[in-house]
Amino acid sequence: MPSLRVPVSWLREYVDVRVPPSELAERLHMAGMEVDHVERTWSWENVWVGRVEELRKHPDADKLLLATVSYGEGRVTTVVTGAPNLATGAIVPYAEAGAMLFDPHAGRVKALEPRKMRGIVSAGMVLSELELGIGPDHEGIMLLDPAAPVGAPLRDVLGETVIQLEIAPNRPDALSLTGIAREAAAILATDFRAPPLEPLAHHLDPSLLTVRTEDDEACPRFTAAYLTGVRMGPSPQWMQQRLAAAGMRPISNVVDVTNYVMLEVGQPLHAYDAERLSGHLLAARLARPGETLRTLDGVERILRPSDLVIADEESVLGLAGIMGGEDSEIRETTTTIALEAASFEPRRTRRTAEAHGLSGSSGSAAARRFSLDLSPELPPVGLARAVHLLREVAGATLVGAVDVYPRPRQVPNVKLRFSDIGRVLGADIGRDEAGDALRRLGFAYAELGDQLVVTPPSIRTDIAIPEDIVEEVARIVGYDRIPTRQPTGVLPLHERHPLEVMRERVRDALVGSGLQETISYALVDEEWLSRLTPDGSPLAPEPLRVTNPTSAQQAILRPTLRASLLDTASRNMKTRRGLAIFEIDPIYLPRPGDLPEERWTIGIALAGLAEPVREGETWLTPERVFDVLDLEGIVDALHRATRSGRGTMERGAPGLHPGRSWRIVDDGRDAVVAGQLHPRVAEMWELPEATFVAEVDLALLLASGRPNAATAPPRYPSAWRDLAFVVDEAAAWLEIETDIRAVGVKGGLEDVALRDLYRGAQIPAGKKSFAVRLTFRSRSGTLSDADVERSVGKIEARLLHRFGATVRAS
Amino acid sequence: MTIALSDLADLAATAEREIAAAADEAALDALRVRYVGRREGEITKALKTLPSLPADQRPAFGAAANAARERIEAALERRGADLREAALARDIAGGAVDLTLPPRRVRVGRYHPISRTIREITRIFAGMGFEAIEGPEVEWDYYNFEALNIPPGHPARDKFSTLWVNAEGTMEVALAATGSGRTIVDAGRKQPMLLRTHTSPMQIRVMEQRRPPVRVVVPGRCYRFEATDATHESVFFQYEGLAIDEQLSMADLKGVLYSFARQLFGGERRVRFRPDYFPFTEPSAEIAFDCFVCEGSGTTDAGRCATCGGSGWIEAAGCGMVHPEALRRVGYDPAKVQGFAFGGGVERLAMLLTGTPDIRLFHQNDLRYLESL
Repeated sequence: MPSLRVPVSWLREYVDVRVPPSELAERLHMAGMEVDHVERTWSWENVWVGRVEELRKHPDADKLLLATVSYGEGRVTTVVTGAPNLATGAIVPYAEAGAMLFDPHAGRVKALEPRKMRGIVSAGMVLSELELGIGPDHEGIMLLDPAAPVGAPLRDVLGETVIQLEIAPNRPDALSLTGIAREAAAILATDFRAPPLEPLAHHLDPSLLTVRTEDDEACPRFTAAYLTGVRMGPSPQWMQQRLAAAGMRPISNVVDVTNYVMLEVGQPLHAYDAERLSGHLLAARLARPGETLRTLDGVERILRPSDLVIADEESVLGLAGIMGGEDSEIRETTTTIALEAASFEPRRTRRTAEAHGLSGSSGSAAARRFSLDLSPELPPVGLARAVHLLREVAGATLVGAVDVYPRPRQVPNVKLRFSDIGRVLGADIGRDEAGDALRRLGFAYAELGDQLVVTPPSIRTDIAIPEDIVEEVARIVGYDRIPTRQPTGVLPLHERHPLEVMRERVRDALVGSGLQETISYALVDEEWLSRLTPDGSPLAPEPLRVTNPTSAQQAILRPTLRASLLDTASRNMKTRRGLAIFEIDPIYLPRPGDLPEERWTIGIALAGLAEPVREGETWLTPERVFDVLDLEGIVDALHRATRSGRGTMERGAPGLHPGRSWRIVDDGRDAVVAGQLHPRVAEMWELPEATFVAEVDLALLLASGRPNAATAPPRYPSAWRDLAFVVDEAAAWLEIETDIRAVGVKGGLEDVALRDLYRGAQIPAGKKSFAVRLTFRSRSGTLSDADVERSVGKIEARLLHRFGATVRAS
Repeated sequence: MTIALSDLADLAATAEREIAAAADEAALDALRVRYVGRREGEITKALKTLPSLPADQRPAFGAAANAARERIEAALERRGADLREAALARDIAGGAVDLTLPPRRVRVGRYHPISRTIREITRIFAGMGFEAIEGPEVEWDYYNFEALNIPPGHPARDKFSTLWVNAEGTMEVALAATGSGRTIVDAGRKQPMLLRTHTSPMQIRVMEQRRPPVRVVVPGRCYRFEATDATHESVFFQYEGLAIDEQLSMADLKGVLYSFARQLFGGERRVRFRPDYFPFTEPSAEIAFDCFVCEGSGTTDAGRCATCGGSGWIEAAGCGMVHPEALRRVGYDPAKVQGFAFGGGVERLAMLLTGTPDIRLFHQNDLRYLESL
């Protein structure tokens, strides 16, 4: 937002501020002029207004004096000083020990300490301008206004308060001292005093200066004045001080006047050396192909055909409303100037400034203003004010002025009803009060019964609709007049969002499983994607790229969560030996000609030590690293918590250990990809080998969900048998389990639990032994031993037939 | 050897003494065998003499023997219970564990502070009838800017430094269920794609798809081209609220946000409204809550309040009445309906709720930080 520094002493020229500056700032803030901060240009802790009560010679030094200084409330002290300009009764700044002062000998600000000079201790100091940091003078003590109240803090007498404001972009009228003064006058219910303007007769001999606008949309108004007898030099002290307090560097009287007027009334101006205008012409036109301009900042610029420029007969003089050129710049020898005050179309100005790198806070101050909708009523005001000041500070004589304004802008009349104010605000604001608020803001209005026709002041380009008027009234009566009320009315019919419900269930389930949730940047480093597979081949589709990334680390929209998980794990594993994390976020999959699919994905990562113990704590639980069955367990718990189906596992997935990973494909799309990170990939991320990741597609998880189906506890007792059998190493447990269940279901098999997996001395090489517990139960009665034995027999037969299993014991 | 009737009571008394003195279960068992054993117990032996007694003495003798047995068995029962009680007491006394030892650790999962805060926000607004919905993070320029009265070149675009995406496409404006017969000028126009700079585009998307009354709250990720520091992130989360009805006003907006503040931060929060500027609301406001740490005073015992920066107020959201132009654009009649919208930063609330000092901690995912919450 555009910012404005408002030195309060300057503001007082246009409005009587009868409240302390801090209160003024608060009231401005509460009326919509955002106060960024209030600064005292000098704070001067422990510095007071003092009076020299007595002066004596130092007994042991000819050039030193002993001054007795009183500084209020009966406080009296004696200081040693060498200043030649002191007299009894002088009002001077007095600093106590502890005051932060500029030390000319040390060349920096230091805390004042008592010191001994030729045997006499000086507790404090009387101060020069240099020590106070407000001027170069160190010869004598600064003499204050004899009327200054003795004992007052010096800052109350000398200090300047600057209110730093952030002005909303729809309020360019407020981006000036008089703009803020108008606001302050309205808020404080007092009068605004406009600064003196030079009367401008709009008549000028065209042989001296001709003004032309060739594009009255790009430059709706162009006013100019022709002045002679200009004496270039520095501007007066008061002007320099005000410019400095407002944050601008004084340069010369003519330039300072243009800057001063810009700050004062908000209209940027530009001064040309009139004798160097070819054809005595100032024309606003679009740049022509091939034209170039060397601007004041010394940059040679190639102009674009859409750039609006100010030109004379022969060449381009400047980028309109942005920056002047070096050639037509005023110089020390200039005596005749052409002063331009114009209106430029904001969007074009903004684009041109951006294209030439002159936008933003470091760019052109004029461009910042012309990028806003400045009123075309401002140029003649700015011009008249500048002419007045140039006559005062540079001895200039006005020869004449011109005003080219072919299509004057209409100020809107806004119609509304008084009742609209209450309807929008929900506050009871009386007609008189509303009318008073509008009057104070300089709005004209007519009442026709409940109807109100409001005409804003011409400089207010932001007022167009009834709601704008309502806001103006509310700003002035105060937003605190709006009561606090609970809405009434019909509650809307809500929608269900199953995906979001499922997402929160998953979040709960994973937190319940002991995992830490993480949320990482959705923008990632593209280089990460090449580190997800051992050979760098892509794992995910081509990502969407940010065209203007803040850094290479945030250049693409992530097409996978895996890289983020590995990055989070990798950074954390530098300070710990184990972690278990998850993230639920979208991945971004481009779709041609459309917004990308934002596919919600659950990402899980486990790494290093599995036991949730403190570092090194092994007294109860031996250290154990995660294995792929931990990951399976978490995924399984997720399925159970969400009542979602598991689908058919396929072994192996890209980027993962081929023998310790799986995926579940649903309708051609990965529903689950999980497993141990490929060791080469783990190495690239500096992660331990025991690193495991899973990615689950939330929408598919939802789609595979089963409805709730409650089961009452069984009524009849169960029976169990243990069974051990030897099979080939290649036989997968899931197939065996599935088969056992298929055969046993008729005989009342309720569950199969794996008790042991054994390989070793008692088993032939290439074989393994499973020990299982089979639990049987009937829904209609207690099973007999014979029933159970019959079922076990069938299962054994099946295992022998399908897997060549030999039963070891039962 | 025979026992006289008169001896039975003595026998019982002796047994009781010995039983009471039994040191342990084994001694007690020996006494049980000796006195009331079925074969060789004293009582059994006594009863065996019964047939040899004269018939008239038998009932008295039998009764006395039974009485003696009952006394002995009762004594055995008592002593047994005492011994078991003592044994249990000994076990318990010896079974004390040093409870100050480190326990068997259980893995504790935690929510990320952002998702936890979003839950809080949506839960609170749900209680006020606001339905939580979400929308796309990659968005058309139209929804992010134009439909919110921020056409290209508008100075308000400066506030939203935008990250653009290397794609463009043809936007389809959702016309579903409106039935207003309006025509959408922008339908089918080529649109630049961007990363939404705020959640406000959802105001338009929601209004395009629904008829009033509308009450929604929209949490979600947003993006800005912005240098990061302790209070700024280029990727961050916002929550957006929108309510449209026949007679909603600024007072209702104030009430809803007041209720939100109270529920989130507790106590008798005060709210402060001040004018602000957003192109898509008119009038616009910024809402601040009085600081829940210093109670609005701006100072704590430690000096200037670090939570509110000494102002006593915590600026929480931008808000205002939905601009009539935005209503018209989606086919609503501003003469019949009006409403309010608000939007604020999730991180800001999360920082306040958790005392997190630096916004960058949220995305760094240092587990030492996350586990401290």
